[in-house]
Amino acid sequence: MGQRMADLSIDFAGVQLRNPVLLASGTCNYGQELLPLTDFARLGGLVTKTITPQPRGGNPPQRIVETPAGMLNSIGLQNPGLEAFVEKQWPLLADLDAQVVVNIAGFTVEEFGQMAASLEALAGIAALEVNISCPNVEAGGDNFATRPQTAAAAIAAVRSRTQRPVIAKLTPNVTDIAEIARAVVDAGADAVSLINTLVGMAIDVEQRRPVLGGITGGLSGPAIKPVALAMVWKVAQAVDVPVMGIGGITSARDALEFMVAGASAGQVGTASFANPNAGVEIVEDLYAYCDERGIDRIASLVGSLR
Amino acid sequence: MIDEQARLLSNREVAADFYLARLNAPHIAVRIEPGQFVNIQVGAGVAPLLRVPLSVSGADREAGIIEVLYEAVGPKTRALSQVGPDAALPTLSPSRQGLAAPSEGTRVVLVGCGICVPPLLYWGLKLRQRSYQTALLVGARTADKHLSNELLAPAADAVHLATDDGSLGHAGLVTDLLQNELAEKGPCAVYCCGPHGMMQAVAAICLEAQVPCQVSLEEYMACGIGICVGCAVELATAKGDTDYGRYARVCVDGPAFDARQIKWGNAWPT
Ligand SMILES: Cc1cc2nc3c(=O)[nH]c(=O)nc-3n(C[C@H](O)[C@H](O)[C@H](O)COP(=O)(O)OP(=O)(O)OC[C@H]3O[C@@H](n4cnc5c(N)ncnc54)[C@H](O)[C@@H]3O)c2cc1C
Ligand SMILES: Cc1cc2nc3c(=O)[nH]c(=O)nc-3n(C[C@H](O)[C@H](O)[C@H](O)COP(=O)(O)O)c2cc1C
Ligand code: FES
Repeated sequence: MGQRMADLSIDFAGVQLRNPVLLASGTCNYGQELLPLTDFARLGGLVTKTITPQPRGGNPPQRIVETPAGMLNSIGLQNPGLEAFVEKQWPLLADLDAQVVVNIAGFTVEEFGQMAASLEALAGIAALEVNISCPNVEAGGDNFATRPQTAAAAIAAVRSRTQRPVIAKLTPNVTDIAEIARAVVDAGADAVSLINTLVGMAIDVEQRRPVLGGITGGLSGPAIKPVALAMVWKVAQAVDVPVMGIGGITSARDALEFMVAGASAGQVGTASFANPNAGVEIVEDLYAYCDERGIDRIASLVGSLR
Repeated sequence: MIDEQARLLSNREVAADFYLARLNAPHIAVRIEPGQFVNIQVGAGVAPLLRVPLSVSGADREAGIIEVLYEAVGPKTRALSQVGPDAALPTLSPSRQGLAAPSEGTRVVLVGCGICVPPLLYWGLKLRQRSYQTALLVGARTADKHLSNELLAPAADAVHLATDDGSLGHAGLVTDLLQNELAEKGPCAVYCCGPHGMMQAVAAICLEAQVPCQVSLEEYMACGIGICVGCAVELATAKGDTDYGRYARVCVDGPAFDARQIKWGNAWPT
């Protein structure tokens, strides 16, 4: 390999990223298990599994099933809860040589605000990613992320309680994702990330039962990449904040497609399950791509779709 | 946690759709214990997407070789059965909780089903080397879903088979064999691997007979290294929705568990 020339760094809503590759929420837990298998110092960063105010046990098994070029999961936001996260997970995360984005959720508007406020004192969090794809218990269990008003209310609650960059994570399970993106940006989001998983289902014909304990689950992996690309492209045109592209990124080429479509950075999710070092390998291949093509700054590719 | 490029040495059919693969994986071979598994990547991460978790059925530390025994049942295992010698297969070993030996002199009974015997074969062989008396009880639907005596015999001083259709050995369930074993020979330590219902029945028999029982669980896995929280098994100590410790991760907290730790069904005594 020749000498590296390309500059892969990205300023993402004020967060300085070494390179545009982060590990996605729920696909790297809180980082520790990956320490022997990957090198966080060579990644742009990682996003923690969603933290909720109370601990959650999660959904009954079966929680995973492979589908064509993808998989369904029904984890049910299993997490230790805010208090245990601050005491146990955060100190270990803070030790990593990486930008750590903490992903938070709540089940009422107020809970979103409380989550942001409670994390404000922790030094070292790069940004908050807000998972608004959860049921709003004050509105009959409707998902916050599916209506502009509720999505905006959750983001506004976080915005008013934090100085940190706020990234709103959007669900693809909506009619018009650009409308939701505009609503969360108007509510104060500094950036958006998309897509979360698509609702899907698997059925065992012999048993005539759903395969997953949660009946439906979230579809991820290469199968969803074209959907994610179209949505990133649409949202990047609708808002003037940075976009984080997520959905089926398995190779440097996939990551580049998202950047060309308008994403300033990308997250690697499901790909880490088959290859725990996938993120780092994608970064290596991005260097190789830029060096071969004489691209000095990867940032110049963002939104370069002709 | 080790991820190494294992080299496939051989991969042969040993019964109807059952394959025995030998892999050169020196780093894993020196550490792997009975009850532990390896997670083998057979595709390039698109289709098949996930790795195949397989229990190790034997290991030769000096030669750096591990063995897996698997049934070609779907896309991943069928793809693996087509891989030829010398192929490099990324193989990950979480090296977590393997099976634990009983106190010296305890008689050991291994209870398995068709293709769920691999961890018991490795375990039986190891225990016999340490002078434990072992019996291996195996159930299967039909005679052709049983592994050959040549593969089973090294793991036990006595092998007893059962088939649902009576085409080989006892006509009935492997749990009948276990009941006989307990009635005739009394106290022992039981190790079990099989489908959920069978393990639940074995766990119940052992609880009733007050003999220790360890199980090697096989939950559906996405990562095999603890990052997806997908391979959840409910613990007997589970305390409701807000109990983060309600479920264990089979891949890193197991795959071997004391049967009493597991909540086998809603009616299971806790
Ligand atoms: C810890 C562990 C040890 C195992 N040891 C053995 C073994 O020694 N020999 C053996 O033949 N099989 C073993 N299995 C099961 C084996 O992993 C599955 O049969 C295999 O993954 C099937 O994949 P497929 O694509 O061929 O079939 P599919 O058609 O996708 O599935 C066939 C069956 O395997 C299950 N399965 C599919 N994918 C997975 C997965 N990623 N994780 C767990 N289960 C899955 C499905 O629920 C289904 O019941 C083990 C599983 C686990 C978790
Ligand atoms: C097993 C699993 C768990 C996930 N958990 C979360 C989560 O807790 N919070 C969240 O915002 N997204 C979660 N996601 C969604 C991912 O972060 C990502 O948006 C999605 O999987 C699409 O990317 P991918 O195709 O690269 O996996 C999860 C995805 C998977 C596969
Ligand atoms: S398989 Fe992912 S946590 Fe166990």
